[in-house]
Amino acid sequence: MMSLPFVLFACGLGAAWTSRRVAALGFWVAGVLMLLVLFRMHATDVLNIAL
Amino acid sequence: MAPNLSRLLNALGLVAVDTVLVLAFVDQLWFRDLPCPLCILQRAGFVAAGFGLALNLILGPRPSHYGVMILGAVAGAVVSVRQILLHIVPGSGSYGNAILDLHLYSWALIAFSLIIIGSAIMLLFDRQFAATERDRLKVLPVSAVVLFVSLVVANVVSTLAICGVGLCPETPGGYLIFNDNLSLTLLGQPL
Repeated sequence: MMSLPFVLFACGLGAAWTSRRVAALGFWVAGVLMLLVLFRMHATDVLNIAL
Repeated sequence: MAPNLSRLLNALGLVAVDTVLVLAFVDQLWFRDLPCPLCILQRAGFVAAGFGLALNLILGPRPSHYGVMILGAVAGAVVSVRQILLHIVPGSGSYGNAILDLHLYSWALIAFSLIIIGSAIMLLFDRQFAATERDRLKVLPVSAVVLFVSLVVANVVSTLAICGVGLCPETPGGYLIFNDNLSLTLLGQPL
């Protein structure tokens, strides 16, 4: 699951190489969203700081 | 800025991102410093930012590609800031090796900031976006893109090896793929 962002970015690069720009951008958006979802799942500890 | 100069600067930028990803692998494989989940997500942030550089090289420079770089770098920077805040209080420990007195997540935040600033500066030059006949890619841009794609694929393999198919352990103790709980090491043993 943690490798999914890299898989999506790799697919996007493949799409860009074959001149499918919209598909490449779609894969990039999906990769960034996956990155943020995984970040949310891993950022569970309360920070020991007072802002 | 002429399109050719823009292409050269984008190629150099992608070489810099490639270098960061290569150094991350050197730290992982040579110094046996396994990446934590947040470290892996910061690598993904570098890939997300480098994606815009690759688009500029493959498809020609566009403002939206610089937007891709900025948003990718912001996503990576958010992860870096979180990891810095986890360890910012003296005595709260750290993760991984330090280089020149800064840990890799601090270096990552500096690098993400530089990507954002560099992209904003590149956006100031409109002439690079003029529609011109695109030349064939030269050696440096092609090498930078091929190395970038190879490093993205290497990160797929590395992350699968460390984390398996699920979420990563918070403090990875080794390569999960070699553990019995993934049953891969059992494949070669007699039943």
